[in-house]
Amino acid sequence: MIQSDIIRGHIEAVVLKLIMEQDRYGYEISNCIKVRTEGLFVIKEATLYSVVKRLEERNLIESYVGTETHGRKRRYYKITRLGNAYFKEKMKEWKELKVILQTLLEES
Amino acid sequence: MKKLENFVKNTFKNYPKDDRERLIQSITEMLTEKVEDLMEKGMSEQEAIDKAVMEFGTLEDYEDNPKKIERKLKTRRTIKQYKYDIFFSIGGSLIIIGMLIYIDLQFTATNVVWFVIPALAVLWWPLATIYRYLLKKETIKEEDDE
Repeated sequence: MIQSDIIRGHIEAVVLKLIMEQDRYGYEISNCIKVRTEGLFVIKEATLYSVVKRLEERNLIESYVGTETHGRKRRYYKITRLGNAYFKEKMKEWKELKVILQTLLEES
Repeated sequence: MKKLENFVKNTFKNYPKDDRERLIQSITEMLTEKVEDLMEKGMSEQEAIDKAVMEFGTLEDYEDNPKKIERKLKTRRTIKQYKYDIFFSIGGSLIIIGMLIYIDLQFTATNVVWFVIPALAVLWWPLATIYRYLLKKETIKEEDDE
C-alpha cells in the first residue's frame, strides 16, 4: 500500500472530486476511494474526517442531513461554488506537478 | 453503538477541549453510518463495529501534525498560569503597599508621604505580569490564525 504522506497533499482534491460528482456521505467517500483504486489506497476514517472538517471550515463543501433512504438518515456533503473554483485551481496544480515529476524522474 | 462512542472518546481524549465534544459527536455519527452500511451488507453488528474501529486509525491519522495538538495544549495550560500570576502579583503588591502605608503612618513623624515612591516601584510587578499575559494571548491568536 502506498505511503499516506505522499498522497496527503492531494486528498483534499480527491475528496472534492468525489463530492463534485454527486453528493456523498462519509463512508461512501472512503468506500469509493477503496473501490476505485482497487484497494491500492485505503483512506483511514480518521484522515478522511479531518479532511472533510477542514473543507467544511473553509466553506468549500457544506453538509446536510439527507432524506431517509433505506430507513435512516445520513449526513451528506455537497460542494459549494467556492469549492468548485478551488478544485479547478487544484487540478491545474496537479497537472503542473505531473509534468514536473515526469520530466525530472523519467526523462533524461 | 455506545461502544463506538466510547472508542471515539478514548481516541480523542487528549484533544484540546474547546471543540472535542463536537468532534466526537460528528465522528461517531460518521462511524455509525459506516457500521450501518456494513450491517446492510450482511455483517453482524459486532463484526461491523470491530471493523469500523480497526480501520479508523489513530489520532496521528487525524491530525497531520500531532505536535500541533501538544503545542496547543501547552499554551492553554500556560495561559492559565499567567492568569494566576496576575492574581498573585496583585495580591502581593496590595499587601506590600498596605504595609508601607502602615509603616509610613505609624512610625514616621514627618508629613512626607514617602510610601508613594516604593508603592510605585512595587506596582511594576503586576504590570509586568499583565504585560506578559497579553503578549502570550497575542501570540496564541496569531498561531490560531495560521
